[in-house]
Amino acid sequence: MAATEPTPTAWSSARRIRRLPLVLLIVVALASLLVAVGVGSVTISPQSLWSVLMGQGDPLYRTLIFELRLPRALAAFGTGGLLAVAGALMQVLLRNPLADPYVLGVSGGAAVAALAAMLVGLGGIAVSGSAFVGALVSTLLVFGLAHGTGSWTPTRLLLTGVVVAAGWGAMITFMLSVGPTEQLPGMLYWLMGDLAYSRGPWPALGLLAVTWLVLMPLARSLNVLARGPLQAAALGVAVRSLEGAVYVMASLLTAVAVTTAGSIAFIGLVVPHMLRLVWGNDQRVILPASILAGGTLLTLADTLARTLIAPEQLPVGVITALLGVPTFLYLLYRSR
Amino acid sequence: MSVLEASGLVIDVPGREDGQPLDFAIEPGQLWGVLGPNGAGKTTLLHTMAGLRAPRRGQVLLDGTSLARLRRRHLAQALGVVFQERQDGFPATVSETVLIGRHPFLSPWQQEGTEDLRLAEEAMARLELEDLAERLVSQLSGGERQRVAIATTLTQSPRLWLADEPTNHLDLRHQVAVMTLLAEQARNGRGVLLCVHDLNLAARWCDHLLLLYPDGDACWGAAQDMLVPDALERLYDQPLMVAEINSARVFVPSN
Amino acid sequence: MKAGIERRFWGLGLALLPGVAAMPVQAETCVIDDAEREVCLAQPANRIVALSPGATELVFAAGAGDRVVGVVSFSDYPPEAKQRQSVGSHTRLDLETVLALEPDLLVGWVTGNPHEQLEKLLRLEVPLYLSEPRRFEEVATSLERLSTLAGTRELGQGAADEFRAGVAELRARHADARPVRVFYQVWDEPLMTVNDEHLISQAMSLCGGENVFGELPRLVPRIGEEAVLTADPEAIVAGGMGEANRDWLGDWERYEELSAVRRDNLFFVPPSLIQRPTPRLLEGTRMLCDHLETARGRD
Repeated sequence: MAATEPTPTAWSSARRIRRLPLVLLIVVALASLLVAVGVGSVTISPQSLWSVLMGQGDPLYRTLIFELRLPRALAAFGTGGLLAVAGALMQVLLRNPLADPYVLGVSGGAAVAALAAMLVGLGGIAVSGSAFVGALVSTLLVFGLAHGTGSWTPTRLLLTGVVVAAGWGAMITFMLSVGPTEQLPGMLYWLMGDLAYSRGPWPALGLLAVTWLVLMPLARSLNVLARGPLQAAALGVAVRSLEGAVYVMASLLTAVAVTTAGSIAFIGLVVPHMLRLVWGNDQRVILPASILAGGTLLTLADTLARTLIAPEQLPVGVITALLGVPTFLYLLYRSR
Repeated sequence: MSVLEASGLVIDVPGREDGQPLDFAIEPGQLWGVLGPNGAGKTTLLHTMAGLRAPRRGQVLLDGTSLARLRRRHLAQALGVVFQERQDGFPATVSETVLIGRHPFLSPWQQEGTEDLRLAEEAMARLELEDLAERLVSQLSGGERQRVAIATTLTQSPRLWLADEPTNHLDLRHQVAVMTLLAEQARNGRGVLLCVHDLNLAARWCDHLLLLYPDGDACWGAAQDMLVPDALERLYDQPLMVAEINSARVFVPSN
Repeated sequence: MKAGIERRFWGLGLALLPGVAAMPVQAETCVIDDAEREVCLAQPANRIVALSPGATELVFAAGAGDRVVGVVSFSDYPPEAKQRQSVGSHTRLDLETVLALEPDLLVGWVTGNPHEQLEKLLRLEVPLYLSEPRRFEEVATSLERLSTLAGTRELGQGAADEFRAGVAELRARHADARPVRVFYQVWDEPLMTVNDEHLISQAMSLCGGENVFGELPRLVPRIGEEAVLTADPEAIVAGGMGEANRDWLGDWERYEELSAVRRDNLFFVPPSLIQRPTPRLLEGTRMLCDHLETARGRD
């Protein structure tokens, strides 16, 4: 008790190196983008790739890389980052590692609202705005209904989420059934996410950058919030406004991810879970790491989706679901 | 050092008459115990004193300022709370949890410094948690979690402690260790208020007591004035026997 | 889709974009595609990628088969089409492979290809002709228009004239025939048919048939078996899972109360002959007309 000298034990020195995970992940993220740009159904040799990246090379290769692969890889990265960090935020808000925008039906709500906006003839920002409202309503619905006495039990939360998601799924199918035939080919991706339909990476990437800046100063408060609202309040956190901000943010992130690439499953579940296994539970590490790792994972998954059975293309949602379902079942099994 | 004062305070227990308004102050160096049967409102009182629950009437003052007018962060720098119910479901290790006690003292961009880490380490050592540092809180036993909660508040190092059943789930040795810790905090000039079930722990450690009756009635004062068998028997609706062991009074239920 | 041509490509921003940037070239060839867009080429198309099985057939029929360098999955007619490089499925194109083929003309499918991908191709200034024939006459003009772009106008004109002549002959032959009430089954689970806007329904009326579900609002409506029993068609015509699979028709035989079943008027037409808007539609329509003639005989 009388120790005046700080004693650097294992855990306190471990606390010092939390920049390492992020540096590592930035390197991996860049590598994944390079892979995504380098691999496709057309084979481009590393030398040609290099000369294209240096601003020369075959015009066809330039088109393939700068017009097709790079925008799509960036869209994948942005979407993956948004979904992963949205998942991480929802998990803190619900104090439950099973929370995920897709599982809880938030993606579905955004998809329904975006689709409805498109069917009444709106476009552009109105579709995104509508998706945001859909995500907000959906989150509110799930959180409100699943809220038992003070805490969310996993069963109650998941049941509510699954039922709400099923409801949205039905509404999407309904709208696809009554919608004009011309609209159909581009609309199925609302059910199963697909980056082939993404129009541009910039909204997702821009929001991702803003998210990073906004979340970093909030991250420690989120650590406290994860211990429950009473404990957080007792430690000086303005719980209601923080919860409100996180709830709006998670919905916004989901909405932009959904309008970029449809409802991509399980990224928000798998990524934070894996990061926690490796680097612990400090949101100051987990949130930025989720952005990087989620982006990396979806970039690689989409590269697989493009090339696995090329020239046939898979929706990336298939790949993420194949990763996500076992992870989810494992988490659920362990949470008993 | 700080004073936490209840002034004309009526806590908000749903469906209960106002009862006796509370007027007492936790002065530096005092160790207050709140005694009462289940449902008397001990936890509600503690949460109200912590500013986590609005009072029905009256107010709680920290150094003369109403809690309602203080910012939570400012309050958390003075006042630490050990909860009886905790949400330990979300994964976090013991060391991470203990360290969040420093949260009120750090600015949003600031990282924990050497001093913060030292406080956390000392708190863990004091509660014998060093070996559990990297374990997940959700995988600990009830008693171990209780010690984590106390270590978190110890890391916070508040001028005022509000502890709800701090000896819950603890074995005898740790019960004594925790009570010793709280008494030591009081001796160092901090104010402590705790809710207790165990009459004998209260009798041994507390210098002030507040008896909270289920109907909202209450009385408070120096411990020796409160430890009157009649009052205690009425409080718990249970006949008691009083014995004296090594000059300490011990209360035992009788039939 | 009763709302007419401008509604047909509703929501698709393509209609506003010109087929290709206007270039100061002397002998541009221009046609109007099925989305009412002007598509212009400076030289005859030499490397064509067809983005639907129907488009592939049209281009081959327009005499430009040897210029087709890329096709999508299920482009099985004519058989040579199967030798061409695949660019993925029509619902999910492999844009890289499309671009790597360096096409000078894409033949797209409005209701089949993802709009985002078509827009992307347009932005990359690949000439795009959108094909969606909804009338017999549009099949003929498609042959003319595509052969114009491919510089095979003579061959295309011949094919178009032949098609028109065949259609006119069928129309003349069945003009005064007694109407037969027909149910055409597109799919079995869910049960789907077509309305009068659909080419199949137009083929029926060419043969003196009457689509019992012609008035339904959707182009390809989903219906229930009860609706079929209520409509009590005199003949049931179905495609099937494959080119010679009659299973769907067999399923109807348990409903003895259906006139079509009592009179044994359950007919099969290979789906690729009647469901694709191509010159082979004439063959499928002839088959349909023969079946309906048989049905008339079993009155």
